[in-house]
Amino acid sequence: MSNPLADMEKPDVIFCIGTNMTEAHPVAATRLKKALARGAKMIVADPRRIRLAEMADIYLPIRVGSDTALLLGMAHVIVREGLADSEFIATRTEGYDELVEHLQEKTPQWAESITGVPAALIEEAAVLYGSSDKGAIYYTLGITEHICGVENVQSLCNLALLTGNFGREGTGVNPMRGQNNIQGAGDSGALPNNYAGFQPVDDAANQAKFAKAYGREVDLEKGITKVTALDECGDRIFAMLIDGENTVVSDPDQEHCIHALKSLEHLVVIDIFLTETAELADVVLPATSWAETDGNFVNTERRIQRVRKAVEPPGEAKPDWWIIGQIARRMGMSGLDYDSPVPIFNEICELSPIYNGIDWDLAEGGQYQWPIPYRGHPGTPRLHEDEFINGRGKFSFTDYRDPAETIDEAYPLWLTTGRRLESYHTRTQTGRSEGINDLLPEETLEVHPSDAARYGLHDGGWAKMSSRRGAVDVRVQTTRRSPQGTVFASFSFADVPINVLTGSGYDPITQTAELKVCPVHVEPTAEKTPLAAD
Amino acid sequence: MNTTTSDTQTTRTICGYCGVGCSLDLVTRDNRIIAVHPAFDGPANQGALCVKGQFAYDYVHHPDRLTHPLVRNEAGQLQRATWDEALQRAAQGYMDVLQKHGRHAVYGVASGRTPSEANYMMQKFIRVGFGTNQIDNCSRA
Repeated sequence: MSNPLADMEKPDVIFCIGTNMTEAHPVAATRLKKALARGAKMIVADPRRIRLAEMADIYLPIRVGSDTALLLGMAHVIVREGLADSEFIATRTEGYDELVEHLQEKTPQWAESITGVPAALIEEAAVLYGSSDKGAIYYTLGITEHICGVENVQSLCNLALLTGNFGREGTGVNPMRGQNNIQGAGDSGALPNNYAGFQPVDDAANQAKFAKAYGREVDLEKGITKVTALDECGDRIFAMLIDGENTVVSDPDQEHCIHALKSLEHLVVIDIFLTETAELADVVLPATSWAETDGNFVNTERRIQRVRKAVEPPGEAKPDWWIIGQIARRMGMSGLDYDSPVPIFNEICELSPIYNGIDWDLAEGGQYQWPIPYRGHPGTPRLHEDEFINGRGKFSFTDYRDPAETIDEAYPLWLTTGRRLESYHTRTQTGRSEGINDLLPEETLEVHPSDAARYGLHDGGWAKMSSRRGAVDVRVQTTRRSPQGTVFASFSFADVPINVLTGSGYDPITQTAELKVCPVHVEPTAEKTPLAAD
Repeated sequence: MNTTTSDTQTTRTICGYCGVGCSLDLVTRDNRIIAVHPAFDGPANQGALCVKGQFAYDYVHHPDRLTHPLVRNEAGQLQRATWDEALQRAAQGYMDVLQKHGRHAVYGVASGRTPSEANYMMQKFIRVGFGTNQIDNCSRA
């Protein structure tokens, strides 16, 4: 997030797009509720009439995968109505004149033809956001899990740059990160393009720095992404070490994923349960869980916070850092033989300019949000206050593209996927919590009543849902939360493996999978057919 | 940061589910979590928790937890092994692939659920062990 969580209580106008915050980030959503109670206005764009949509002043029911068109249409209106912040544009941005040119034909009528949202409503939303003193944008995977995820984010940045909504309280462009430490994973250098602290690997100075720190020559070329690595298993990739990820259930195109992992010569999985992924491994190593671990998590507002061991692990389970260090030691590597997480965290701090100002002891209180460039620096709750990291904010000339697959006669419905309040990801944890299982015992496919009637489905009955990659049986729930023509399911339940269906395409820059869009066909089925794997 | 009463302990930590990073106190007795208390001084949550953070902690003590290493035997089954056997097998497998297919053939997938220290170790294992950047985390899917 560009701004701290506390700022969520401060905007005049909130714009939520592709975020089901009341279910996926419920505690953050309470901050928005406080802002609304104070009188803030809210715009919500989402294909589904989610709870946030019910709370909104303006709800934009967009067709899945049409976000860029909506955002370009809004930018067009902001410019046309003279709502652009000319002082901010002049002093802090570049590319405005080209943007104005680029937006000329991106009228709200053009946006309506793609998104299905009436042009008048797009205009109303643009005027509301564009006239606000403090406008804040919040998004989640509904923006990024598309083949155009990068263009979607750039289009959001255009809106904030146009209206001067950066670097002040209650503004910004704010992604809500989905996992407890997905931010920390990137911060720590678990990326093919960056060392710790987001230092690019293809920069010669960084390479020299890390070659010295690590005592060996390191490639100047970026690595491949996980998506590409899975594509190349048995071809260029022959061994993997997977820590704490149930790849088989969470990733798109399950059949492809299982085939990829089976074609490795060597697979080691570190986890706390024998997940569907661990079952494919040559070696499974038992890790400590969250309550048995000392370390640091970094949250969505870049806040570094200590996690602390409260109970002893079961049996012989060991901390992940210890396990990895022990494999390394047996391969004759040096420099990975730590006796506690403390020197590991301190090494991250020493090597990362954005963490230079802290160490394990200073992180104890959880008050630091990076960047913390030097000792004594208070941290940076709000980014871009005086200038952007690269100087000026650059407008992007984005354009709309169709999703990788679009609906047709054979697959006439859009499937979009997501999370539910009571379950988390592939349910390796929440599926083993008794009370949670009472609240949410099984997966359902959310279908608009008229679609149910059209395809012969009924509430509580079973549907067979197929895509170009596979089929699953799922119980039907009729609801007006789904719009006509779009159905929804979560990917959480291994016995309804929705990711058998997904995997139509990937963003060419980030290689994020288009998990939010998948054309499907549904038909009634008498009862659930057992899975082959059962 | 542990406070002890007669027979229970309280440990301040951070929720392990989504990225909001809510502070909470784990109340434990006899090495088991018996309750979760939201932290009113937590900077991200100010006393709030959702249904997962408040209640979905019993997986920690679930009988399905892995308690010892497993190694695939010649019959293709995963069977119990000592740490030493399992680590040796893990290391040997990477050395074999390195020799046979070169250093770019080994790939690391780090976790968005584990602490930063585990993530840093994963990338260091790949960068020090193989000199490549064949490392990613689970943020793309």
